[in-house]
Amino acid sequence: MEEINLQKDAFPDEIGSIAKILDSEMTALERMKITRHNLIRISGAAIFYLIMMLIFAALL
Amino acid sequence: MELILYIVLLAFLFEMMDSSAGMGFGTGLTPLLFLIGYDPLQVVPILLISEAVTGVTSGIFHHEFQNVKFSIKRPITKETKIMLMISGIGCFAIFFSVILTYYSLKLPKDVIKTYVGILVLFMGIIGIIRLKCKVRDTYKPKLLTGFAALAGFNKGIGAGGYGPVVMMGQLFSGIYEKTATAIVSLAEGFVCIVGVAAFLLISSYGVTIDFVLLPSIFTGGFLAAILSPYIVRVLPNNIWKLVIPIYAISMGILTLSKVFLL
Repeated sequence: MEEINLQKDAFPDEIGSIAKILDSEMTALERMKITRHNLIRISGAAIFYLIMMLIFAALL
Repeated sequence: MELILYIVLLAFLFEMMDSSAGMGFGTGLTPLLFLIGYDPLQVVPILLISEAVTGVTSGIFHHEFQNVKFSIKRPITKETKIMLMISGIGCFAIFFSVILTYYSLKLPKDVIKTYVGILVLFMGIIGIIRLKCKVRDTYKPKLLTGFAALAGFNKGIGAGGYGPVVMMGQLFSGIYEKTATAIVSLAEGFVCIVGVAAFLLISSYGVTIDFVLLPSIFTGGFLAAILSPYIVRVLPNNIWKLVIPIYAISMGILTLSKVFLL
């Protein structure tokens, strides 16, 4: 559940450098790991979805 | 309010592809819903509203899963600048498209749809050829601006195909596939926000929008907008290198078949 520590200097000033680092330094299995921060964001999205559905239910 | 299961599933599938290959939600889902029997005022504004939310959501989750690095504060990242340039041109184009519609300036739809279909098909084929030739990817900002303008022009004249042209244009300009997908997802979200505003403007002039499909399309699209950036992160970039041009070819064929078969 730890945040992945990226060497951000590996691809300086290059577009897509973070994705390139993830691809070059981690296996697909390692990229599958979900961090705590990811889970918080997903929970936030779930709450947003529920609020939207309540709004639709009230309006439609 | 009711959730129509097969519409949820269709929206999920097309948004999965849209958020991972950067194209197809509008181009793919619209004709399918027309074929099922829904009319344009039940489909077009709902897809715009849904894509506005799912595009932004997908962009946030692409950033969260590190397919891209967007920034709100300074220093603004290059990815953010590209996204703003692409979405800025797209917003202007969609506004121009609404003005054309408002003043009833009719362009020959079949001709411009055929042109976009051939263009997207051609770009997909070039994408495959580039793979075979192993072209070295160096960032070409002027070329990218040209493709963004071309996509904007197409959208402005009401021909669609904005996603495929911008997506393939980014790849030809040397942008990494995973990052290009993330950029186009967020840019499309912003363009659709302007599209929704334009539709609301039209509706204030007496056009009635039917919201019956909104909960179903929103549900499928929203789930996919979260899952898809994760799939993009996990799968190796070589897969997206192949999937994106193949999907662009299928979108080109679909656009052409809409002209000649529907």
